[in-house]
Amino acid sequence: MNRGRRVAVTSPQTRLAHARRRSRGRWRPTPLPPEDAERAALLYLRQRRRAVGALLLLFALLLGLPLVLAVFPGPDSVRLLGVPLSWLALALLPYPMLLGLARWQLRRAEDAEERR
Amino acid sequence: MIIAFAIAPLVLVTLLIGVRGVAAMRTTSDFLVASRQVSPLVNSAAVSGEYLSAASFLGVAGLVVKDGVGALWYPVGFTAGYIAMLVLVAAPMRRSGALTVPDFAEGRLASPALRRLAAVVVLVIGGLYLVPQFRTAGLVLSEVSSTPYWVGVVIAGAAVSITLALGGMRAATYVQAFQFFLKLCLFIVPAVWLMLQVGPAVRDQAVHPVEFTTFPRDTPVVFRVPVVLDVREPVTVRDNRGHPSLLPAGPQPVAAGQSLVFPAGSAVPRVRGESPPGGPGWQRPLLDLRQAGHPLLGTWAVLMATMLGTMGLPHVLVRFNTSPDGRSARRTAALTVGLLGIFYLFPGIYGVLGRVLVPQLYLAGATDTAVVALPAQVNQGWAGTLFTGLLTSGAFAAFLATSLGLLLVVSGAISHDLLPGGLARLRATVVVAAVAVVLLALPAAGIDVSTLVTWAFAVAASTFSPLLVLGIWWRRLTPAGALAGMSVGLLASAGAIAVTLFAPPLHGAAAILVAQPAPWSVPLAFATMLLVSLRGRPPAWSWAAMLRLHLDEPPGATRDRSDLRHSTRVRRRSSAVRRAARRLVG
Repeated sequence: MNRGRRVAVTSPQTRLAHARRRSRGRWRPTPLPPEDAERAALLYLRQRRRAVGALLLLFALLLGLPLVLAVFPGPDSVRLLGVPLSWLALALLPYPMLLGLARWQLRRAEDAEERR
Repeated sequence: MIIAFAIAPLVLVTLLIGVRGVAAMRTTSDFLVASRQVSPLVNSAAVSGEYLSAASFLGVAGLVVKDGVGALWYPVGFTAGYIAMLVLVAAPMRRSGALTVPDFAEGRLASPALRRLAAVVVLVIGGLYLVPQFRTAGLVLSEVSSTPYWVGVVIAGAAVSITLALGGMRAATYVQAFQFFLKLCLFIVPAVWLMLQVGPAVRDQAVHPVEFTTFPRDTPVVFRVPVVLDVREPVTVRDNRGHPSLLPAGPQPVAAGQSLVFPAGSAVPRVRGESPPGGPGWQRPLLDLRQAGHPLLGTWAVLMATMLGTMGLPHVLVRFNTSPDGRSARRTAALTVGLLGIFYLFPGIYGVLGRVLVPQLYLAGATDTAVVALPAQVNQGWAGTLFTGLLTSGAFAAFLATSLGLLLVVSGAISHDLLPGGLARLRATVVVAAVAVVLLALPAAGIDVSTLVTWAFAVAASTFSPLLVLGIWWRRLTPAGALAGMSVGLLASAGAIAVTLFAPPLHGAAAILVAQPAPWSVPLAFATMLLVSLRGRPPAWSWAAMLRLHLDEPPGATRDRSDLRHSTRVRRRSSAVRRAARRLVG
């Protein structure tokens, strides 16, 4: 019962894992199993097609609304409940449109993954 | 007084939640990404809570007072950024399995040099974003009570670093989610109260803006930044000791910190380089940056910077890594669009009311305190004090939540990416980083919040967003291309900042493109990445490394998890209290 120095006891695997986390040598991503690679490639193409559509819509909306307001100053003088229509077009209108776009894209992106 | 009832409860709750997070903290992953067990609803509330910073809570309304209704394009861009995130980044980022953004860069391209560059970019963005948060904390406190500037800065620094060092990302998540709903209430309720309280005359003035040309009453102005006033008619002003002095017509320099009382009915002097609130350009729904005369270009530049910048903000990206899988990361992004949309319906109200009630803040260079200055203008009694307190508390919540996330990624970049170490070092780094930011923020009282935050967005848009978009969607990206593109983007955006700070002022379209470099620096960074990558050969494994990001999790792995509605799986959560309770009950 002599009280010597206490040492940590770990399994060889744990020691290996700890050692690995410390060293930051160059590493290569491991290859994907073939069936996973096939599915990933399919998903990549599907999602890319959907992403392009959603992005085009988003840019059309974001760059188009200021353009419309710049070209047609008409809504500046029209008032709805006393507030200029162009203020409402800027302060209220974009948010429901963005939320709609987000929901639509979320459903499409999840659909692409539902299909096996 | 205001500190006691507005700030103290908030800081206390923040600390309590932080202490609560200590229970289950063992590894770097626990610390940096909350063990990846955060459900979409809690996570999107946390993302929104973190994202609604001083710039959103105070800055947007202040910009409306200063620049006009067109400043409401900023929140549109902030919200739209999450759609770009949803479409391009959210799910693949989570599926990469990275803990931080530099981790992601190294995982995709296997380049330690890229990891270090990414970590440096995180530090730049974190610094540009954190300093204004702490600064505004100090400023708002000194505005509503008579504490010196440094008190607020130090309180903010201490609360944030203690919460984070103890609780890490788990604490940050709960604090931010809680603070989102708090901020929402503390922003909406005073807005409704103000609208009801101001009366029909002010409401009518708010929607029929006229240029701010004469002072309606004796108006004290405390100049925060040095300005040159163009005085049109000679006016007798009093200083803070009541001594009258004559301001002759012509350009008059005013030093920072000077305090002048303009008499009722006198003509408002113009601030050189700014246009007064309420003018014809003010009410157009476009943003004429720097009065350059190109409102459409200015609006587009701001939209580009805010949208693409949001996609590259490291503290937001890391939040997606706390989701259990790619699918819920995507849902988090979609929910965030809705949550932010609710909040951003209201800054405009503060803005248009501020233009009527506190337009003199534009002279003082203090428009970003318009939100907290409003209640006292409407009601001098207890109700005004109460609502000032509520708004101050909300603004403080905004600094705390944002600073938590930023400080976390900054310490992650230092002690996970640059100098890898364990949990103990991460905790120490948090405190050291907080001290550094407090020291940086102490001399920064005169800087406009929205300017610094805008720069952080520009840097993020021209470095991380090309890296993420091309890294996730283009197989031929090479490490050399990514390094070159990120360096060019960093240099271009930092160069534009330096020109704005140190070069003589520019005019016309050039002024917009220097103040808001995103429209050219982002395409430049993308082009550099594409061209340099096309000249080299992508490594053999690059196709697999990219595809891995698009592979969905097998069904059942996530959907059977019925307890996902809770943010962490209760049964697995390890806590001494919970274990004891289970022993007693079971």
